[in-house]
Amino acid sequence: MKKILISDPTLRDGSHAVKHQLSAEQVAAYSRAAEDAGIPIVEVGHGNGLGASSLQVGVSLTEDSLMLKTARQNLKKSKLGIFIIPGFATINKDLRPALELGADVVRVACHCTEADTTQRHISFAREQGKEVYGVLMMSHMASPETLVDECRKMESYGAEGVILMDSAGASLPDGVAEKIKRLVDSLGIPVGFHAHNNLGMAVVNSLTAARAGATILDGTARGFGAGAGNTQLEVLVAVLGKMEFETGIDLYKMLDAADMAEKSILPFIPAIRSTSIVSGLAGVFSGFARHVERASAEYKVDPRDIFFELGRRRAVAGQEDMIIEIAANLAVKNKAGSRNG
Amino acid sequence: MNDIVRQDCESVLAGRYGLLEELRGQCLLVTGGTGFFGTWLAEMVACLNDFHGFQCRLVLMARRPQLLRDKAPHLAGRPDIVLAGQDVRTLIELPPETTYMVHAAASPDSRLHASDPLQAIDVIVNGANSVFAAATRLPGLKKILLVSSGLVYGTQPWEMTNIPESCFGGVDCSAAISAYAESKRMAETIAAAYRTQHRLPITAVRPFAFIGPYQLMDRPWAINNFIRDALRGGPIRILGDGASIRSYMYPGDMAFWLLRFLAAGVPGRSYNLGNPQGISLRDLAVKIAGCFPRQVEIECRCLTNEVARRSRLVPDVSLAANTLGLGLTVDLEAAIRRTILWNQSVKTPAQTEPADDRV
Repeated sequence: MKKILISDPTLRDGSHAVKHQLSAEQVAAYSRAAEDAGIPIVEVGHGNGLGASSLQVGVSLTEDSLMLKTARQNLKKSKLGIFIIPGFATINKDLRPALELGADVVRVACHCTEADTTQRHISFAREQGKEVYGVLMMSHMASPETLVDECRKMESYGAEGVILMDSAGASLPDGVAEKIKRLVDSLGIPVGFHAHNNLGMAVVNSLTAARAGATILDGTARGFGAGAGNTQLEVLVAVLGKMEFETGIDLYKMLDAADMAEKSILPFIPAIRSTSIVSGLAGVFSGFARHVERASAEYKVDPRDIFFELGRRRAVAGQEDMIIEIAANLAVKNKAGSRNG
Repeated sequence: MNDIVRQDCESVLAGRYGLLEELRGQCLLVTGGTGFFGTWLAEMVACLNDFHGFQCRLVLMARRPQLLRDKAPHLAGRPDIVLAGQDVRTLIELPPETTYMVHAAASPDSRLHASDPLQAIDVIVNGANSVFAAATRLPGLKKILLVSSGLVYGTQPWEMTNIPESCFGGVDCSAAISAYAESKRMAETIAAAYRTQHRLPITAVRPFAFIGPYQLMDRPWAINNFIRDALRGGPIRILGDGASIRSYMYPGDMAFWLLRFLAAGVPGRSYNLGNPQGISLRDLAVKIAGCFPRQVEIECRCLTNEVARRSRLVPDVSLAANTLGLGLTVDLEAAIRRTILWNQSVKTPAQTEPADDRV
């Protein structure tokens, strides 16, 4: 059996789905359930990573430090993971305190063509003796060659593995297989994959990645995550077990954890809504969905038009301000169109 | 004054300083003078002057010479050592009294090569060209030692225990990550061109891996990480199955070899510089753990499902041994113990770096 390391960002990516309103009680309850199930890594924090709580991308109900303390108290064998995007997170303000609170695993993420921005954070985490991974977000926006170059940078900075994120849920299996295989062939460190389900491809893309040589996969309970959600973890664990892969996770307890999450954490089950499909087709970050819905309601424009315009402009996470500008422009254009018509 | 390093220099020179007799009374210049090589060369020259009356003058050239004042003030304040602030890429003139030169300017930090390969290429290729062009105008020049790299060989075949100077092949010239190795190859070719066209007496040296004082523990190399992990109380984490083979030379030996190459190396030849005795990373971790009084755990993190990717990087140093009488005086375990001792007793610049400098 080939081993797959599962990392579970239910308490991080799932934060997007509840506008970053996870409570400490919910963090504690899911951490306990994940610990019972034997999930190797439980990632906790604001949806955009530590230090990202802001008016621009959403203010957290629970401070990062309290979330980490709470999770730490409930995780023993499972490792406590954190996610940081340099720019949102700084070493002194966020990373160092998180390590002091007991984070075991650090993921340092950036847009898929900007690995240079991760050097200091990756190096710092390694210097502190922590397990550290590099993450390339929006990986559908770069060619396999570019991804290899960027991952090699992260490897040279000290990353112990690299994760491709299909942040927009825009990838199809052939593309995933090609990119993962190129990375596996080119790097000396493990490769991972983190899917979103905008086009209903999350599970199959994750399995394709594993078949292509990825040894780290992400999934969340009930797929709880940004946009149309992530790979549904309990499905992934079940199917991996049915195939030639070993995760070390207790399936029954994983199913229990997902049931508990549905009951106690999720205000709704992630679904592939029309805007999610458009977001995937346009190749736009899933975390934009709620901002787009709000702007479309405010400016009375079609959210699908906003998504396609964001895709045309190749918008990336952190450029949420662009949504309002696009919505306003569309409203003006629509008004002019109706006058002329 | 750093007692550990001074003891190392005295020890390696004992009974052997006669091999460096050509350097007596000479003016030496080292580019990259505040780096790992430059600092150790300065320590060795200081010892030759203090205990063996060599009366050498040493010019350490670097972009930021004040770095030496920070990490080795006992060297920076010496009358026989001169600090010169100069970027080798824009070098026009060298001190005319220079008779021997070591061109070592370049950062071996693979993180820098990955982030800014163009700068790596610029410093190595254009730096070599500038330095050699300026050297053609030196009236009394006797020898230049070009510091190349063991990485010029590319991938060492797994079945080859030690790689000799004649073996080339495996650098992927289409990858940006090859910028450092390819630039070092180019620098050797530039050296060959200056030898042919200007009769510059240039010898090249290809360093492999080292461990010892003045080496920063934040560098992304296995042995540094292992020692750093152990100094923190462990565990030592090995990435992969630990079967890859490396070798490590103590910098006291390294500095002596460099001076010997400078004194007696044959122009036109390239010499490997390193320890010919390879060790697996797994055994290395065990050896490091054994140097601590408390128990240090070792974790092997093998996450690849393929056959483990093993690599080997170990030099064949028979050319240096047979033609220049060079050998090792410090074995790996002693090197590790002295490195630990030095790190426990000295605050390195990395440790004293202001925290606010990090974003």
